[in-house]
Amino acid sequence: MIAIVVKALADLRRRRVQAAVIFLTVFFSMVAGTMAVTLMSQTRDPYQAAFDKQRGAHLQVSYSATTDPQLLAKTPATIGSSSFGGPYLVTNIQFKFGDRKFFVDAIGRDNPGGPVEVLNVTSGRWARAGDEIVLTRSFAELNKVSVGDRLKIVSVAQTPTLTVVGEVVDIDEGSADLSSQHAWVVAAAAPALSTPDSTYYLMDYRFTGDPTSAQLQGSIDRLRESLPPGSIGGSLNYILVRSIFNITNQILTGVLGAFSVFALAATIAIVATLVTGIVISAYREIGIMKAIGFMPSQVVAVFALQIIIPALVACVMGIPVGTLVSQPLLANSSHALGLAYEPTFSIGLDLLLLASGLVVVAVAATLPALRAGLLKPIAAISKASAPRGTGGRRLRSAAARARLPRAVVLGIGDAFARPLRAALTLVTVLLGVATVVVAIGLPRSFLLINNSETGAGNYQVVVNRSSAYADADVMRILSTQPETARVVAVGGQNVTVPGVGAPVGTRLFRGDSSRLGYMVIVGRWYSAPGEVLAPAALLHDAHLKIGDSFTGTANGQTLQLRVVGEVYDINNLGHSLFMDIATMGSVTPAVEPYEYDVTLAPGADVSGYLRRVAALEPDLLDVHASDTSIITPVKIIDLVLLIIAAVLALIGVGGIFNTLLLNTRERIQDTATLKALGMSPRQVMLMVAAAAGLLALVGGLIAMPLGLSLHHLLNDVISSSAGNDTPPAAYGVFNPLELVLIPLLGVVVAVAAALIPGRWAARTNVVEVLHSE
Amino acid sequence: MSELVRLSDTTKVYQGGMTGALNGVSLTVEEGEFTAVMGPSGSGKSTLLNLIAGLDRPTSGGVTVGGSDLGRMGEAALARFRRDHIGFVFQFFHLLPNLTVLENVLIPAQLRSRTSAEARGRELLEQLGIAEVANRYPAKLSGGQQQRVAIARALINQPSLLLADEPTGALDTRSGDQVMELLMALHRQGQTILLVTHDAKLATRYAARVISVLDGKIVDDARLETAERAAADVIRVRGEEARP
Repeated sequence: MIAIVVKALADLRRRRVQAAVIFLTVFFSMVAGTMAVTLMSQTRDPYQAAFDKQRGAHLQVSYSATTDPQLLAKTPATIGSSSFGGPYLVTNIQFKFGDRKFFVDAIGRDNPGGPVEVLNVTSGRWARAGDEIVLTRSFAELNKVSVGDRLKIVSVAQTPTLTVVGEVVDIDEGSADLSSQHAWVVAAAAPALSTPDSTYYLMDYRFTGDPTSAQLQGSIDRLRESLPPGSIGGSLNYILVRSIFNITNQILTGVLGAFSVFALAATIAIVATLVTGIVISAYREIGIMKAIGFMPSQVVAVFALQIIIPALVACVMGIPVGTLVSQPLLANSSHALGLAYEPTFSIGLDLLLLASGLVVVAVAATLPALRAGLLKPIAAISKASAPRGTGGRRLRSAAARARLPRAVVLGIGDAFARPLRAALTLVTVLLGVATVVVAIGLPRSFLLINNSETGAGNYQVVVNRSSAYADADVMRILSTQPETARVVAVGGQNVTVPGVGAPVGTRLFRGDSSRLGYMVIVGRWYSAPGEVLAPAALLHDAHLKIGDSFTGTANGQTLQLRVVGEVYDINNLGHSLFMDIATMGSVTPAVEPYEYDVTLAPGADVSGYLRRVAALEPDLLDVHASDTSIITPVKIIDLVLLIIAAVLALIGVGGIFNTLLLNTRERIQDTATLKALGMSPRQVMLMVAAAAGLLALVGGLIAMPLGLSLHHLLNDVISSSAGNDTPPAAYGVFNPLELVLIPLLGVVVAVAAALIPGRWAARTNVVEVLHSE
Repeated sequence: MSELVRLSDTTKVYQGGMTGALNGVSLTVEEGEFTAVMGPSGSGKSTLLNLIAGLDRPTSGGVTVGGSDLGRMGEAALARFRRDHIGFVFQFFHLLPNLTVLENVLIPAQLRSRTSAEARGRELLEQLGIAEVANRYPAKLSGGQQQRVAIARALINQPSLLLADEPTGALDTRSGDQVMELLMALHRQGQTILLVTHDAKLATRYAARVISVLDGKIVDDARLETAERAAADVIRVRGEEARP
């Protein structure tokens, strides 16, 4: 055993560069793998812990303000909930803070405790007086509102001012950048803030155990049957909220998991290439080892050990680094859930990762090392090294016919001289380039989708009116502005869809809504009242397809609707309906728009327009530029993708570097001969660079369709997790020039990586090399 | 005849070496000469050859070939010098295994960007009697055939100086004789040849001048025809029997 270790360590000292390649490759693989496993193990637990701590509501149902509270008090028994909160009077209020105005649903509630929905006050205290309000921490942080700030309520004529006295974490709603937010006032203060068309009752229900989606839908159906038509305005269940909380981590873990497998595959390829190369170049040494008494298994162990030692160091360093790097993501998740962040790691998990990493590397190293064990000592000594690879002849001939410089022709032949090595190198290049394609493509797809959701490029100004200000007055103001090119008014009304438990939110448009930029996946935009578009999740849950008609219910009144298209919309994970506001013509009370998306004439001064229109009705209109910024979770995913792409690209470069190193060392005698025949150092470097360039080019060309397919697949997985099908435009985010440039960029990087082995080859001491023969 | 090679008080000491591989050697070689450098292993004869080929640099002294001072040349210039002026025949042939015979022969011309050398390459193969193996790979050839390929490769750029380092060392006697006959024929056509060998009989049989090297010094420089010295004398200076 000592002899094996001594020999392996001696070999390691001699092969420092290869050891460095192994170290870096395994290190990066382990960092990515540890991040994936750490996040995966944490994804569900924090939400569940926070949900249990809050005694969260499994189901929240909003009821029309006209519903008799006595009837509502009986609803927990109707659905068999174990505990409940409410009915709370809730009203959608608009308040002004600084120059901006915001909407929140203010809930009249006297304390944060109770049998359900125990809210975690993270800052300040609960409201005690009628002029106090509590906000969610998510909202406060997003909009830079602090305890002590004063908010002017502009949705009611009295415009009272409320002081922010506390911040809470409410895990029964999504984060502020993804969902509308609740706020809390004392119950007695709620009526004074209410307006007739934006007030409702809220009930929170909690069940024994965790009900399934179907059980919750059954509960809604029973509530609907037990109450007068139109009583249920909307509902939200914990499964949806949990999904919204976890979607970022789910996508991240999916992406990290997939790419960790990539990194591992690349590592296996590099290890196998390296060990094969070392064995090939060490025939004489193997023969001598055997001659002095090494058993075949000991010879194999020497070769495997010199890979396992740097891999072990890489694992020991990579696992803690991966754990550390995943902590900010976990902290972010804990913060959103109001949980105290504690650095989390699991010794058991780390040991499992260490063992897995080492086993994979050991197997990848041992299989090619078996060749060393099987060699006959005399044959090994007499051959000194394995016959040099003679593959790549056809390629070389083709290159020669193309009249390329001889150094390039030779390099091209060298690239594929050993087909197995070339294939393994191609694997690393392929994975690296494919990941880069995904890392470039996916953020673009996200941006495209983000733009469609935020109207980027299609409208520049968003105006929200207070219910105290009439729709007609808003339209009059906007239409009299010379820069106004188009106004699309947007309203909303929950609609009950057969087969779907929770009422579905709608976007009701007045004006040319087809130009707002929403992406139609199949079918067409609506052209008449009664025609609707919906995202994939709603169509799926309601068993609807394009062309189907169904009867919806709004405020207890029926609507005849026909699906004409599938639209992309991530709100409520794909549960929404898009239609003309005229579709709601028969519904009472009349549905009116509250938001106005304004397209300005080309060249118009947006900020001047904002200032002028806002000044006309400073309290009753909220006028702001369309917010087209990308939401934080997407930014995190983009960043992680970028890091992973860099890691896999580095591993790919490592693969090429490793192969070139082996090739140049193996062919050192040929290089010396060529130098003796007059090959200049520049030509030697050109020869090595040509081999690198060809490998990168071939790998890149194969990688492009793979990368595009992966981009396609990940788009589908991510869209699906948000309740949508991928818009076709999100696939086609590369222009033809880029499809050519990406592999070429790979070639440039590979050629740069070839500089070091190229330089070594160019500096070959002819006399020494040929003399040692 | 004009001078082609000049070594002036040339010394070569390898790193870590206590004594020089070459110690103050001065030598000239005329154009058209067939010179043999002879000596036992470690005598410095290969070092001498490597210095003349520009593969190695002297520790002191100068090496001039065809009027070019090799000591003043950089790596790239030396590479150009070798491909333009030197033909090299190695003991172990050093053919590139993944190139065919013809491709091996054409390599120096192609490194010189001469793309029209194929006709000359085939002609050389014809002259050397190996035209029929032009498209084979070196592994399929006998040692003698491989060395002929190496000679053809050395001649493709019509070098002013052909250096042969133990060209028969890896061949059987018959093949070795054939190779030497070829070199002799080339010499008769005017080719300057510098042959390194430890075989005194071989040296005296083919070369017109035999330089004997021992412990890094020239101990004898015999022009066999002009000095009218017997081959036996030459043999004596390099063998055991020559030592006191």
